Amino acid sequence: MGRLKAAPTTDESMTSPLPVLPTTVIGSYSMPEWLERAKNEYLSRRLSKRDLDEMHDAVRKAAIKDQETAGIDIVSDGEAQRDNMIDYFTERMPGVQVDLGSKRFYYDFYESVVRSKLATGTLGLGDEAKFLSKFSTRPSKISLSGPHTLVKRIQNKHYSSEADFALDIGKLLNLELKELVRAGATRLQIDEPYYSGFPEDLPWALRAINEMVSGVNAHITLHICYGNRYGKPSFEGSYQFLFPAIMDAKVQAISMEFARRGEEDIQLFKTVPFQVGIGVIDVKTNEVESSAFVADRIRRALEVIPTERLIITPDCGLVRLPREVAFSKLNAMVEGTRAVRQELGK
Amino acid sequence: MIVHINHISQSKKPKGGRSPQSEIAGLVTGSLMSLVEEGVLDARLAPSLRIHLDWIQYKTNFRDPVIVRRTTNPRGQPLSLAEIAIDMRQADASRIPEVLASAVKSIGQPDVETSRHVYLDDFRPYRDCLIWSFNRLFWRHLGDWEASSGKGFEAALPGGQSDANHPQAVSDAVADFWTLLRDLDARGQLPGDITGLEIGVGSGARAVAWLDRFKTLDEQCGTNFYSRLHFILGDYSPTSLERAMVACAHHGAHVSPAPLDALNPEKTLSKYRFKLMYVHLTNVYDNLPFDDIVRRDGKLYLIEVRPYLNGPMADALVTDFSITREELPTLVHTLLEGGPHAVYEGEKGVTFWRRLWDTFKLDERLRLLDEGEDAHVPPGLNRTHLEDLLAEAPDDVRFHISRGAGESFANTLPLLHPRGYLQVQDIFVSDMDEYRKGFKGPGKLDGSLVTWVNGALLRAVGARAGYDVHFAPFPYRPGTKTSILYTTQRD
Repeated sequence: MGRLKAAPTTDESMTSPLPVLPTTVIGSYSMPEWLERAKNEYLSRRLSKRDLDEMHDAVRKAAIKDQETAGIDIVSDGEAQRDNMIDYFTERMPGVQVDLGSKRFYYDFYESVVRSKLATGTLGLGDEAKFLSKFSTRPSKISLSGPHTLVKRIQNKHYSSEADFALDIGKLLNLELKELVRAGATRLQIDEPYYSGFPEDLPWALRAINEMVSGVNAHITLHICYGNRYGKPSFEGSYQFLFPAIMDAKVQAISMEFARRGEEDIQLFKTVPFQVGIGVIDVKTNEVESSAFVADRIRRALEVIPTERLIITPDCGLVRLPREVAFSKLNAMVEGTRAVRQELGK
Repeated sequence: MIVHINHISQSKKPKGGRSPQSEIAGLVTGSLMSLVEEGVLDARLAPSLRIHLDWIQYKTNFRDPVIVRRTTNPRGQPLSLAEIAIDMRQADASRIPEVLASAVKSIGQPDVETSRHVYLDDFRPYRDCLIWSFNRLFWRHLGDWEASSGKGFEAALPGGQSDANHPQAVSDAVADFWTLLRDLDARGQLPGDITGLEIGVGSGARAVAWLDRFKTLDEQCGTNFYSRLHFILGDYSPTSLERAMVACAHHGAHVSPAPLDALNPEKTLSKYRFKLMYVHLTNVYDNLPFDDIVRRDGKLYLIEVRPYLNGPMADALVTDFSITREELPTLVHTLLEGGPHAVYEGEKGVTFWRRLWDTFKLDERLRLLDEGEDAHVPPGLNRTHLEDLLAEAPDDVRFHISRGAGESFANTLPLLHPRGYLQVQDIFVSDMDEYRKGFKGPGKLDGSLVTWVNGALLRAVGARAGYDVHFAPFPYRPGTKTSILYTTQRD
């Protein structure tokens, strides 16, 4: 088993007791087709913001309920209120100009541009933490897109380099993470799906991450996958590119995509100084894994990563899966994990 | 009355006269006026009578020159709306007054199977029609057909050969692919195994031309991509696969055959999910099941077809083969089940098949689509998406739901590597508005069938799957109707 202990969170008291091999989601849950249409209607000004927000809240509550019913240990709100992983943030980032007329289909990206140094301000995500604590008694987490991902989607007409731009985003999001903690969040996640497409960016991308998490009193996970846009990968390759730079990330956990890709490169994570979230559910297929299949994946991971450092997750968000498929996959994940826990006597 | 002229001839009119099409159009309107004056056509009904003047893309097709299309409710019970459709390409001007009068008289009468024809089945949607059994028969017994006709199936294509094999087109396609590989390699993102797929390999001519050119280019540039290349030949016809493998034999282990259903390549090739760098198809989508929908007065109707053997032609068949009319449906069944030699031994079986195919026609009727009905919708879409598509279409329109093409497309995209692409050479309607300008099939191509593919529908399927779909003209053969569909990853 691995030599290193899991990095402690900055305050152990902020986390509820969790079982070994805790299960969690990456963030998003199945997006109902009717909600997709409603979002498009909103963009066409045929539906009010108020009506859409009501729909979002209903779907978020249902997503929480599904996760709780499936037995997920750390739940999210399912992120139904987010059109995609970019716009939700760029719309809120002070100093980013967003052309709100630039899309008709909700899942598309707005055209956005930065023309001056980013201003300091809040994105208002604290409400998400309050929503989660109001509607679930379980440990929960909130995910944010990371600086590298946002830099790749926002047209830069001010900063001299992507690195400088990312660093400023890191500073801005650092304030947001602290705001989330003040609102009650104890577990946060940063999503960076573009690393694998731009491995050469990793040094400055991780500097921006470290700026973002500096002094944040929460358990922070860095999620690095190969993209999940439209339920398909954006890139392919090996996680080899992360090393050794990733070892300096100041986070408590990293979460990786393994179910779809196979576990060829899981050995790379044997000595990382973090907890490791391993994807045991392929979110890019509607085929539902059996719990036995999931259990096998966990057993293989345990040959590399010690029990106390392992977190069980899907490969990525469940947003592109039909609801019944997403729910069945979560059930299989929980059942498979419970089977392994039993074998471990935990 | 409402006359829909669904085709405007691009050809120059003969000197000193009118074109045959304008001649027919004039005869149709004149004859209808006379029928009103003579009391054959009720003057009160005349204003709502619809006449469609079509130019059917394929000279050999499934329609008799003049047909009456009746309408039914979703359960197949008759409704009052009816329309007359005339193929201006086939119609005999001298007989227009007579056949039009006959058609007009039959409107309002019960739809009875006339004793003139030999009917083979009930009305069904195109997707479930016997034409697909004939299509399968052709590809399974391709060699028999070609031996009997004395020419390869590609000879039936416009230009006498497949556009897929055009040397410059192949060369440019290879160059584009090689450039992609080089760029990925420069970024360290080129997979160890470079896998390509051709679906619908025909004689293998394109595959071998592509492979030869790729190997040459790779050697010239010293990139060593060929050594990592694995090319899959996919087809459901064993004959085609065997031919293609023989054609590609000198590429040895770089090539492998995959018997697959073009409707679902992912099923056979699931281990290549997200791994294929290149997928190519030529003239496959136009040969897959489809449905036809019409919108009349804001309502959607599904076209249902009833196969029959044209009466006079069937009579000739009966005489020539010394059989009875009553035996014909059974012989058709035997042919479709067991092939031509199950009907007659040797060449006679194939001759019978070819004659039968010439005789084979389709009646049409319009069945009102039920509110929740969605069997005609391709996977990956639902009725709401079709409504989006219809929002861009003309009001009174007939269009294809290229269900098979959509299904094949949706089941091929998941095989693509994130940087891979799909390229399809076929006859596409890229804009719904194009359906207003002509009847886009189906037609007969040798013993198979062919129909235009609804590219706008594929665009919608692609968007749902994360791909933008583009159409480019095929610049290598002047006058060709082929265009090239290609995908790019949707941002």
